[in-house]
Amino acid sequence: MVGAAEEAQLNRLENQVDNGGGGAWEYLCLVRKLKVRRSEKVLKHGLSILNNPNKRSKLGGDEWTLHEQVAIAAIDCQCLDVAKGCITALQAKFPESKRIGRLEGMLLEAKGLWGEAEKAYSRLLEEDSLDQVIHKRRVAMAKAQGNISGAIEWLNKYLEIFMSDHDAWRELAEIYVSLQMYKQAVFCYEELILSQPMVPLYHLAYADVLYTLGGLENLQAAKKYYASTIDLTGGKNTRALFGVCLCTVAIGQLSKGRSKEDKESSDLQSLAAMALEKTYKQKAPSKLPLLTANLRNLKLLS
Amino acid sequence: MGFGLAIGVFGVVILAHAAYSTIQYRGLLKILEEEFSGPPVNVVVELLLGLGFCMCAALSVPGKFLSIHPDSEENRIVSLPANLDFMIFNHRGKVFPSETGLKLKC
Repeated sequence: MVGAAEEAQLNRLENQVDNGGGGAWEYLCLVRKLKVRRSEKVLKHGLSILNNPNKRSKLGGDEWTLHEQVAIAAIDCQCLDVAKGCITALQAKFPESKRIGRLEGMLLEAKGLWGEAEKAYSRLLEEDSLDQVIHKRRVAMAKAQGNISGAIEWLNKYLEIFMSDHDAWRELAEIYVSLQMYKQAVFCYEELILSQPMVPLYHLAYADVLYTLGGLENLQAAKKYYASTIDLTGGKNTRALFGVCLCTVAIGQLSKGRSKEDKESSDLQSLAAMALEKTYKQKAPSKLPLLTANLRNLKLLS
Repeated sequence: MGFGLAIGVFGVVILAHAAYSTIQYRGLLKILEEEFSGPPVNVVVELLLGLGFCMCAALSVPGKFLSIHPDSEENRIVSLPANLDFMIFNHRGKVFPSETGLKLKC
């Protein structure tokens, strides 16, 4: 979960390190903590630390964590010999280590040697069949080879054992959405919201999938979840505001023939429309007439 | 921070002095054989002063308070973590020319 202040700090450090100021080690620690994927920068600055014997000795025990981080970044940037060098250095220091076995598996994956990587992972799983990361690497390998249904199968088996791993639920939801299997994606997002109810992005994604599914009940649920996103973000999420407006329009169209007795509070959409106008006035005043015209057409603004 | 700490120490000293005064007052009342209904007015004033100083110190010494609102500008969630456990490596970055000359020495 990357907050706005953390992202600003990360960007500031990145600028500072790119332009030659110091602070590469803090930048690398922050990247590791926030789990962002900035492989090129990590590779460049990590190598600048590792190739400089002074800075290396200053790190002490942390230099092996840095080796691991640089190895993964090198694999991501396809600099396979750098990765091989890091892994060899790590193997010399920690022989018979599962973490390094995992790195070797990832290197084989990057080279495209899927069979060998599969063998390496199975061997590691024989020693410890409950290693979460190796299971996830197998899923990633199936996905990389294009075998999406195999990936779904592996991921479902993994989730039967480790039901509380919300990263895996999110991955499964995204795979289902990419295959347009929206009902299953809805189930995954529900699990995510159950485990982490205060993250507005999950509510937003859930509402999006419900809106895509369509149908009166789904649209009403989608409207509720857009509203809860607005609640959690203090009204600053433009997508949720638009979602509320569009859901109301869609519900109105669907229930045109039915009785209009249960007209729920029509305050929500007019308030959302007014909030949208205010946001656009502040941030993109040139697009405000476009927005106002559209909202008037949808009869959300008087 | 030094100033806040000084105020805090001063507040604690005032409270200790108030406690001592009350004990002495009680001793005096025992000699005069009267009932102890409550501390005298100046001790109450001292107590309030001590409370004020200690509160100021407690708010200023520990440092800057962090924001707890989830929707405040610095706390709002910008992006979810990138799911590095499921990272795959056969993406289009393979065909981009990476910086050659990146080598791990020794």
